[in-house]
Amino acid sequence: MRSIVSIASTTVGEAIRRKVLLVILLIGLLFMIIAPGLGVLSARSELTVLKSMMLGIIQLTSAVIAIVLTVYMIPNEIERRTIYTILSKPVQRWQFLVGKYLGAVLALGLMMALMTVVLLAVFLYMQQDIHQAIDIAKAPALYFVQMSLLAGVAIFFSTFVSPLVNFFLAGGIYLLGSLFAPFFKTMEDNGHSPVMVKKVASFVNVIIPNFAMFNTQNPIINPNQTIGSESGYYIQAAIYGAIYIGILLVAGILIFDRREV
Amino acid sequence: MAKGRNLLLGVIAALLAGQAALQQLLLWPTWTKDYAPSKGLDDAPGLDPGQFLIALAGFREMIAGILWVRADAFFDAGNYDAILPIIRLVTILDPHQIDVYATGMWHIGYNFTDEEQRSDRRYLPTALALGREGSKQNPSTYELYFETGWMWLHKIDDIYPKAVGWMEQANAHDDMPPARRNMLARAYEKDGDIEKMIDLYYKLYDEAEKKLKTDPAYQNRQGADVIENNLDNLLVRSVQRGYQAKKLGIYDSGDYDTKPPFDVGFTAKVTVTEANIIRIEGTWNVLPLGTRIKVILRDENFPNTVAGGAIWDAWKGVNLDPDKDATYMQDQLYVRNQHFNKKIDMSKDPTMYPFTGKDYTLEFFYNPRSAPPHIQDKFGWNGEGMTDKNFLRDDLKGPGREGVRCMYTTLHLTRDMIRRQGEWADKVPVLMTKGYKDSASTGADQDVIIIPSLRGSK
Repeated sequence: MRSIVSIASTTVGEAIRRKVLLVILLIGLLFMIIAPGLGVLSARSELTVLKSMMLGIIQLTSAVIAIVLTVYMIPNEIERRTIYTILSKPVQRWQFLVGKYLGAVLALGLMMALMTVVLLAVFLYMQQDIHQAIDIAKAPALYFVQMSLLAGVAIFFSTFVSPLVNFFLAGGIYLLGSLFAPFFKTMEDNGHSPVMVKKVASFVNVIIPNFAMFNTQNPIINPNQTIGSESGYYIQAAIYGAIYIGILLVAGILIFDRREV
Repeated sequence: MAKGRNLLLGVIAALLAGQAALQQLLLWPTWTKDYAPSKGLDDAPGLDPGQFLIALAGFREMIAGILWVRADAFFDAGNYDAILPIIRLVTILDPHQIDVYATGMWHIGYNFTDEEQRSDRRYLPTALALGREGSKQNPSTYELYFETGWMWLHKIDDIYPKAVGWMEQANAHDDMPPARRNMLARAYEKDGDIEKMIDLYYKLYDEAEKKLKTDPAYQNRQGADVIENNLDNLLVRSVQRGYQAKKLGIYDSGDYDTKPPFDVGFTAKVTVTEANIIRIEGTWNVLPLGTRIKVILRDENFPNTVAGGAIWDAWKGVNLDPDKDATYMQDQLYVRNQHFNKKIDMSKDPTMYPFTGKDYTLEFFYNPRSAPPHIQDKFGWNGEGMTDKNFLRDDLKGPGREGVRCMYTTLHLTRDMIRRQGEWADKVPVLMTKGYKDSASTGADQDVIIIPSLRGSK
């Protein structure tokens, strides 16, 4: 356990020092600050646009950070040969992988927390409504689980593909996981879809991680909607995320364990 | 080693099954119910899959805002066709943009016209479907219920039970301003349901008085005065038009403005002067103002029709591309000196009037429920004060046609007649209704406008 904590803390330090991540974070923060100016895009829906813009920026920035942060993690260690130093110590390969992942998630969490603070500050400055501000901050909580899952996808692929391929692969899975389930639902509702296509789609739908389920911003942006058990859903979604991350890490460990380094 | 590996593979399989169960049984149903971007969108033919994918991705509302700004530029440029997919996309991206639904409905319903400013009614189902979908997406506000009701009441101005239904739903919302609640009363009136209209005005008056007592602001005084005035007028009219007498069963013995029924004396002659151009002339004994006769030229098998109209919400889905093979022309005949003479040129708009079918029906329809108050003072709310020697109908079926005395007749035309082809290439098709009288007998050519008295039948 000490090895995992030690690798994780080192990874956090490395991540925070990486300029590319800080630039992405800075761009995200700048967009969040200028977002209120875009409320004019919708005549009577300034608040709607403000909320959706801010949450959208957090989500997009976090997704880019999660992918960029994790795709290089294992390949860089191998390329720089620092992995030999680590693995020559009493550290198992699975401990190294889990430590790296936890470090990445912690760093991601810190950056997302900073964006959430800016979100609250800008929102409070614009709206002076503490209740709405608290309400809007719920979305980034599930975004964090979503991005942790995305980081899991990227770290899984990083055990056997190059960073560039991984970047597109993880990004593609994120896009597919965000779009496929609602798209599949549309297809299911459409009686004209062929049965075979539906079956294949159904299989793909349960296998790929469903990122859409972490997008809970709609009732926050449009508060007139009635929601059932919100906390229950958040807990279930977090459990779902944890299970899928578990799958990815175990699969990653199996591959990384057999890999020549 | 292999044992441990198999164990891990087993763990992966178990976790995969667990996540699938959790996802499909618990999370996904809740997400689609509570968190999905849009619920119950009408099916959206006319959208390509790429547009649909964008609609499901993040940044929905922001993209919707940007697109709507773009649509505004198209409005200014008069490029109306370009606006249609934008409206649809914006409503899918952000189904809570009420203004887009409302403006979209108005645009689709009103702005597509031919060279002579007759609107393309084939788009009405699309406009109404958008309103239906918008109200489903935004059930907490009265706005889109009202807009859809307004489309029936003002644009379609027919099948008034539909307007009543939507206005009643709008009225059930607390956020509907009192001034707009009057529109429900107007819908009741046009539907011939005067009892409900009186009840509603009393209720609105009580509410306005109550509000005035708690807040004697000018607008509250004004609101109460308007409702009181409307109620006064309504009650006076209900007596003068014999409505109250009918309720009491003493109509036959009393003298009311609606007695005796006035013969509107409708006759018409239709000449296909050139290909896709028709001239309609005829007689109508009523005042020059406010007595427009509806004329419709449509495919004989045009779907969902009733006498003198169509049930425009019978089509399903927001279809941005209405049937381009269908023809439905609607216009109104203006009366001067008890005569009308109108040229209807459909030759410049072949996409709106394709005339691909073989047979066509030309309908003439006058519904006293659509008439303005000064005409209804004679004809009554349900046509009890009007008659027509040849074309009075009180047996029409379908929504909005029950319990009302209308003038209705049809003529049959063929494609060859309208296009002046085949046997009609050298022959001028002329059709006449029963009892047609030419204009000379009505004094239509006189400079002085003759205003006939509606008091007695000629």
